[in-house]
Amino acid sequence: MSEPFEPLLRSYDERRRSELVAAYMAVEHAAEPVPEARFAALREPASRRTVEAMLNLSGRTLVRAGRTEWTSGYQDDVAAELARDPACVPPAGDRAVLTLVLIHSVAIPRSTGLLPDDTWLSPHPTPLEELRRRSQLAIGELESALRRLRLAGLVAQVRADGRSDNGDAGGFVPGPQFHRLTPAARRRLQEELILAAGPDSPLAATIRARRRSRERVRQAEREATRQAARSAGGGAREVEAHVAPEVVVQGETS
Amino acid sequence: MTEPSVDAGVLARARARVLRAASQPVSEPTPAGLNTASDGERLWLLPAWPDGATPALLDEYDTAPMPMDRSGQARRVLAAALRCCWTRLDDAPWPGEAVPVPAVLEVYGGMSRGDAELARRWATGELRRLSDTDWLLLDESAGVVRPGPRVALWHDDTLGPLRDLLRRLPEPPQGVIAGE
Repeated sequence: MSEPFEPLLRSYDERRRSELVAAYMAVEHAAEPVPEARFAALREPASRRTVEAMLNLSGRTLVRAGRTEWTSGYQDDVAAELARDPACVPPAGDRAVLTLVLIHSVAIPRSTGLLPDDTWLSPHPTPLEELRRRSQLAIGELESALRRLRLAGLVAQVRADGRSDNGDAGGFVPGPQFHRLTPAARRRLQEELILAAGPDSPLAATIRARRRSRERVRQAEREATRQAARSAGGGAREVEAHVAPEVVVQGETS
Repeated sequence: MTEPSVDAGVLARARARVLRAASQPVSEPTPAGLNTASDGERLWLLPAWPDGATPALLDEYDTAPMPMDRSGQARRVLAAALRCCWTRLDDAPWPGEAVPVPAVLEVYGGMSRGDAELARRWATGELRRLSDTDWLLLDESAGVVRPGPRVALWHDDTLGPLRDLLRRLPEPPQGVIAGE
């Protein structure tokens, strides 16, 4: 069934249309970002806009990975909405295990300069033993959590490599889904990790201050819109309906 | 400027992707722009792809899909399950029949060499993973398995080789098929 895509694809000839479909399927379903050299529709800004519009139909967006590679992810506003839906959020145990992997495989190596700032992929595995010790989960629960996280592409297993000199014992690293984070999502994750790992650090204080000031700007914007809606003779009720859940979420995270 | 709320249709399709093959009672309204598969009681929401494409298209572009661990073994266990659940091979595999798990394990055992007990253990784990990925619906408490909603996305014109393969697999044990 391609009905929702039809208005976007109708004007293209058969060849261009199949290039657009291929690019769409590739960014949505490939394990890793795909090179634009292989997908004609990703090379030109005009056809990239059409791929973007196809993705937008289900709340997705193009995400650039590296200079010439592309993947897809959730649009930031859609991700925020989904995060509010308990059915869409993984269980607490899974999130705890994932957080441990991010701390050990990304945050610690990054803090010692072993990993660049804006990546969530890492060659430094978190040993299973570390997860066992720190997660406080029973071994069966930990194994189930790891199975689900691996199936979702959120973690990847690195096998012990007998050849490596540093006696690498293998373990778990962030999975390929971390390519799919938008720049805003990457930034937010970075901030959350700082708040979790060093809540009393000066950096954490800066993040909290920045979030408070952003929230003040948003509130001022909302107030302005409310007044505009009132003076436009109605519609304020709908505006309120949008902002209420947003305020609740801000309250929880700050 | 307020932050725009997300369009309800867009959010419903995004949600369907997060939840993968989520099911709802057939009586509930279906969001537009999604495929569905129903077994009469429940309705599974599945992605709609443009121009009949499927992720198999990635092969033509030398592009790897999301990897599945031990994919060869998972495929063989899926084949063994379909051998039991897809009883009328000329029809579509979906929704198929629910069959007892031991029947699938027996067919799988007949397909593999080596330690039969070990094969059963591996296959039990694979059934779970195939259920996590919606290729099968496994009900562990009832001890039955049936085809998963993703099977409903297979185009009929691509099923020929699979039908041929399944005909060559060991027969399911007699009397275990639901309703017999």
